[in-house]
Amino acid sequence: MNLIVFTKRVPATQEEELRITGEGKAVDLSKVPFKVNDWDNYSVEEAVRIVEKSGGTATAVSIGDAESDEVLRRAIAMGAKDGLLLETGDVFHDPNVRATLIHNFLKKENLPFDAIFTGVQSEDDQFGAVGGILAAKLGLPFVSMVIGIDTVESDHLIVRRELEGGLQERVKVMLPCVISIQTGINEPRYVSIMGIRKASKVERKVYKAADYQDSMKSKIEIIKWVYPPKKAGAKILSGELESACKELLGILKEKGVYQ
Amino acid sequence: MSYALIVAEVRRGLFEERNLDSIGICSLLEKDPIMLIPESDYSVNWEALSGVIKVKIEETQFLNPLNMVNILGKVIGKRGKPDVIIFTNSASGAELAAYTAGYFDLPIITDVSNYDKEQGVFYKSYYSDKIFGEFKPSGDGSFIITVRSGSFKEYVTENGTTPSIETIEDITASPVRTFMEYVEEEKTDVDITKADFLLSLGRGIGNKDEIPSYEELAGLLKAVISGSRPVIDKMWLPKARQVGTSGKTVKPKVYLAMGISGAFQHIAGMKDSDCIIAVNKDPEAPIFQYANYGIVADIHKVRDKLKDILKA
Amino acid sequence: MQEAIVNTNRVLTCIQCGKCTGSCPESGKTPFNVRMLMRKRQFRNTIEEFLPWYCTSCGACTIRCPRDVKPSEVIIEIRSGFVENGDIPAAIQKALENTFVQKNPWGRSRAKRGAWVEKLDFEIPHVSETASKRLLFTCCIQAYDPRCMVIPVNVATILNRYGIEFGILGEEEACCGNEIRRIGESGLFEELQEENKTVFKEYGIKEIIALSPHCMNAFKKEYGDMDIKVSHYTELLAPMIKNGTITFNGTYNKKVIYHDPCFLGKQNGIFDEPRDILKTVQGIDFLEFIRSRENSMCCEGGGGRMFFEVETQYKRNSEVRVEDAFQKGAEVIATACPFCVMNLEEKAVEKGLEVKELSEILMEVL
Repeated sequence: MNLIVFTKRVPATQEEELRITGEGKAVDLSKVPFKVNDWDNYSVEEAVRIVEKSGGTATAVSIGDAESDEVLRRAIAMGAKDGLLLETGDVFHDPNVRATLIHNFLKKENLPFDAIFTGVQSEDDQFGAVGGILAAKLGLPFVSMVIGIDTVESDHLIVRRELEGGLQERVKVMLPCVISIQTGINEPRYVSIMGIRKASKVERKVYKAADYQDSMKSKIEIIKWVYPPKKAGAKILSGELESACKELLGILKEKGVYQ
Repeated sequence: MSYALIVAEVRRGLFEERNLDSIGICSLLEKDPIMLIPESDYSVNWEALSGVIKVKIEETQFLNPLNMVNILGKVIGKRGKPDVIIFTNSASGAELAAYTAGYFDLPIITDVSNYDKEQGVFYKSYYSDKIFGEFKPSGDGSFIITVRSGSFKEYVTENGTTPSIETIEDITASPVRTFMEYVEEEKTDVDITKADFLLSLGRGIGNKDEIPSYEELAGLLKAVISGSRPVIDKMWLPKARQVGTSGKTVKPKVYLAMGISGAFQHIAGMKDSDCIIAVNKDPEAPIFQYANYGIVADIHKVRDKLKDILKA
Repeated sequence: MQEAIVNTNRVLTCIQCGKCTGSCPESGKTPFNVRMLMRKRQFRNTIEEFLPWYCTSCGACTIRCPRDVKPSEVIIEIRSGFVENGDIPAAIQKALENTFVQKNPWGRSRAKRGAWVEKLDFEIPHVSETASKRLLFTCCIQAYDPRCMVIPVNVATILNRYGIEFGILGEEEACCGNEIRRIGESGLFEELQEENKTVFKEYGIKEIIALSPHCMNAFKKEYGDMDIKVSHYTELLAPMIKNGTITFNGTYNKKVIYHDPCFLGKQNGIFDEPRDILKTVQGIDFLEFIRSRENSMCCEGGGGRMFFEVETQYKRNSEVRVEDAFQKGAEVIATACPFCVMNLEEKAVEKGLEVKELSEILMEVL
């Protein structure tokens, strides 16, 4: 089984207070540390587990600037055979643009694969659409929200998709295909610094994204960035205990967790 | 003809509540809502729709992106291109939307939580809602959006007339991706990271004998019980129920914290919950800084009162 | 990495005397047994994956070992094997990944590492702007945890009041790596060490005042020769109090018992400075634990144990410690380590005892 798995270096914004600059033109990420996209971490782990068990190779691909080499080294330390960087200084917000770039790259380089793994979404833009668009462009079947791969055969996979409320759907999908992996499908191994240093010895190939940009026109425009409405601390439900409790139940209903 | 095509999300005979957000945004977009839905007996407020396109196909085949593009192809052949195709932003909605965008080469904006009519811009979350981007599809052609649950249902208007009904049939099901079965997740011990609603207990409950009474409350509320480190330490609750840096990180829709003061190791494990409600008798408890709602009161009294109301 | 730290070859000379197990705060009550681990190591037997994580790195075994086997270092080596294989408890993994990204085990924003200074009514210069090049090193838990944040705030206030010049690094400070090395992630420890040393060098730092004994230990013993004077803040204050530079006006009429942190006391020999300081405070009825100084009982906060829980349920040392203090008639447990404060306080509150970091008592009598 030859797998291509995508991995992205994203800003670790969870703990940060983000600042918008230039009257909505940009989000200042200069002080934010970067990390591997959580979904991609699971998806690399899953790909590696499959090839460890059934043979073949996992090839990690990243789109980004030279710093993205970091997530490729990480993927190799986890067990990927190769790391390919599609280098670009641009940030592509439009999932159509990203998928077109990947599509052009795969076609032009004629990379062989049985399946392509992507994370369901990336932590920064949360578009969650690149895998699906790519599958359609390649004319391949697509399954997203994959929370379990039960069977790996030479011509098909049997996977479980995570739906809402603890329900899953078992699906058979023919190869080759595109699969988007959900977090929680496995427990990604720890990647030690020593492991990453060893992985650095494996050569990573660098391709210029500019060479694969045919018909890569953005289909959406970003007008500006804005802050969400401010959260004003806890709203204290005061008054009689009875009315406070009723108000609490009202909130539970509004949030849809209690009917 | 100018219209918005809503792809309904239906699951095991149920019309999902979040479809209302797809209908609601049509009022803001000022487009006639036409709903695409499998032909079956669903409970839908039809009067909120201008038209319904019923598809003679199994529900599970309908929710398969490889079939959906064929269905949409027929709709477009019959009615022309819609101005916008609207999906829910759920496990199935998002999957259908992305594949459809790729197949028909359409712009896509996902997880739309607001729309500015004046500017014609869609608000889309970035960085877990820390920032929102104002997006616009380029050009005047059709585009795709997925809408966030709970964002637009208040805009649903019922016009008091029954919608027009069309039917589509002869959809060939794709052989390359096929539905096999539904699987309920195994319930060994409860996985607190999967729960939508956690009732989390802290040191404030006082002693172990109080636990059953909180379990009863959780039962009435259909909440899952979790706890902070002191409660687990004392073995009042099993280790698997622990929230915090030395336990599990949870992101439920509602995190109801009772008797938890909010040590930062605990906060780290729950602060990304959609809605945090804290009950604590100490108004200075740090947890109130992270909560959306709070009640300053004795937690046992709150528990008993809630039980009274729920049983009444 | 210096030879001295990781030379664990002497495990073959272990005579299985059991002194390590006898002194270990975990052996006996948990499945963990140091002597057995050394045996398994001698014979290169398989070690169950959950076992090495009980160790609190208190160092008692290494101090007591008659053959200089350094069991606590052997345990680090065992852990590093699991780290290399990526097979470690999830909470430990999280702490390491957090440290990799944000340079602190809790994954809090590095940009907010200096935010505690907002609690002061004076400004602390960046260390590069000081003449003395004396650095107050904050420590991760004290930079972020609201309970522990009072420690840098207090010490900075005291130093400022008595005109001792010092500066800070703010967000340029990275985790010292003391716990990271003990978790067995030597690569990450090296990176943190490299990062801190580069910054120390860049600003020409001549002296470091450590607030946590864990940071102090790393800088004193594990950062190699930096040509920087490193001291715990009690080492700085004790002589100044003795010679009258610092005087206390208030009284503290309480029975205070002092708990020796492992990394301050048994591992670095700083027993007297904190005691001398406390004994100078008027009104304090100073008490000693039966198990004190070299024999002090570990709070179970070291060696990565602040970041995760072992699976077995057993009586915590903090509970034993609080009971001992209670038996002695103490009203306040004083200590000089943020991890000890966190662990002891949880149990002390239930017994009606207070836990005070030394600087908190000083602030009340200044």
